[in-house]
Amino acid sequence: MSTILRAEWFKLRKSKMVPIIMAGPIIGLFIGLSANLEDNMQGIEMNEWYIALFSMNLTYALLFLPLITGVFASLICRYEHQSGGWKQLLALPVTRGQVFVAKYVLITLLVMAMQILYLGSVFAVGMLKGYTDPFPMEIVWKSIVGGWVATLPLVALQLWMSIMFKSFAAPFAVNVIFTLPSILAVNSERIGPYYPWAQPFSMMYIGGNTDDVFFVPWEQLLTVVGGGFILFFLGGYYYFQRKAI
Amino acid sequence: MMGRLLTADFLKIKRKGLWFLTLLGPFGVVALQMVNYGVRKDYLLQQSEDDWGYFLLNVHSFTPLAIVLGIAILTSFIASIENETNAWKQLIALPVSKLTVYLSKFTVLAILLFLASTLLMIFSLGYGLFLNLGETIPYLELAKFSYFPALAALPILALQLWIASVSHNQGIPITVGIFGVIFAYSSYVLPDWMIWKWPSLMNQWNEPMINVMLGVGTGILLYIAGMIDFARRDVK
Repeated sequence: MSTILRAEWFKLRKSKMVPIIMAGPIIGLFIGLSANLEDNMQGIEMNEWYIALFSMNLTYALLFLPLITGVFASLICRYEHQSGGWKQLLALPVTRGQVFVAKYVLITLLVMAMQILYLGSVFAVGMLKGYTDPFPMEIVWKSIVGGWVATLPLVALQLWMSIMFKSFAAPFAVNVIFTLPSILAVNSERIGPYYPWAQPFSMMYIGGNTDDVFFVPWEQLLTVVGGGFILFFLGGYYYFQRKAI
Repeated sequence: MMGRLLTADFLKIKRKGLWFLTLLGPFGVVALQMVNYGVRKDYLLQQSEDDWGYFLLNVHSFTPLAIVLGIAILTSFIASIENETNAWKQLIALPVSKLTVYLSKFTVLAILLFLASTLLMIFSLGYGLFLNLGETIPYLELAKFSYFPALAALPILALQLWIASVSHNQGIPITVGIFGVIFAYSSYVLPDWMIWKWPSLMNQWNEPMINVMLGVGTGILLYIAGMIDFARRDVK
């Protein structure tokens, strides 16, 4: 298993993923520096970091995070789709299941790396704006790790779609079709908690209940994120087992 | 020559889902309002005296996002049809100039974009009539909200086609498209010169026509830049 992971990593290293990972913190910096919520929030006693986190997490988690996971998934299948790479890879003494799991694990690691870089950009925004309040470490970790957990089912679906379609555009179109409605879904108290593509936002939204480990209740996390993960992961896994290459 | 290239390009996009996506984009934008009005129609009708205007504004809140993402998807699709099988080489080997090849791709995309705008107008009108928003239907506003965003998005189309047709890794144009949608989503904080702000039809003079003029003008400039760059590159 570790050798497959290493092989996947070698293939990925030279396929221009660094600029795409850097997109996360760049977007974070852009939103953080362009939003001027401070003016609206004057007079409200609040840790300054929260103000930055409010505006940054909104756009980042609502649109950017679900969309970019699809790009990672397509990127990781790209070298196999070109000139019969699947055949060469599966001719090696590896099972299809191992290949699928290795690709999945690598994507989740990439998303994790991007989340940590995004945390860096949150910090950079605070430094540039000269915040003096203590850094809310616990809450930041909650939303960074929570956002990552919420992308797990989305990554599974995108990997499935990326294995199915040869072009980048088709899995991305599927991703867009499901991600755009979450702008409406998060406004609704009835639909929002059950919509898997709205979960990155709910998990990163710092106004939520802080007693639990994450910002959403355990039941919602287990049913929507966990259920979505099982559904999409198994779907992709069995699709790949049966796929003619 | 141009006519035949266009026919060839339309043949190539057959059964690839491009027509379906062109239909789905405007339908999705109106469908989101169907959900919105379906859930809280009474509340939304109370928000404004001008029910038609408010409805069109609601539809328009998703139009720029759909246009930016749709352009990114369609351009990447068109480019990957040639990329996947290394067909650029074969295409350029035909007795056609590279400039016309590029023009033909752009024309196909522009036709799809305007088809989507027309469908958006029809769907908005249809759902608006279904909602019974009032006797006087603002046809002029309806046409404005349907066609102006597409015209203002022409520079984005030119830029995305340029990036998609020169990059081998289609992850790059898609990532640029994601940046575009983030910019379009936060267009109220963007300065007026950013092309991703224009489809929202906002500017400091509050005059949508300026965005359309800028869009068409800059679109032509970016298109020419992309075409020249495409023609100068080696086909690998």
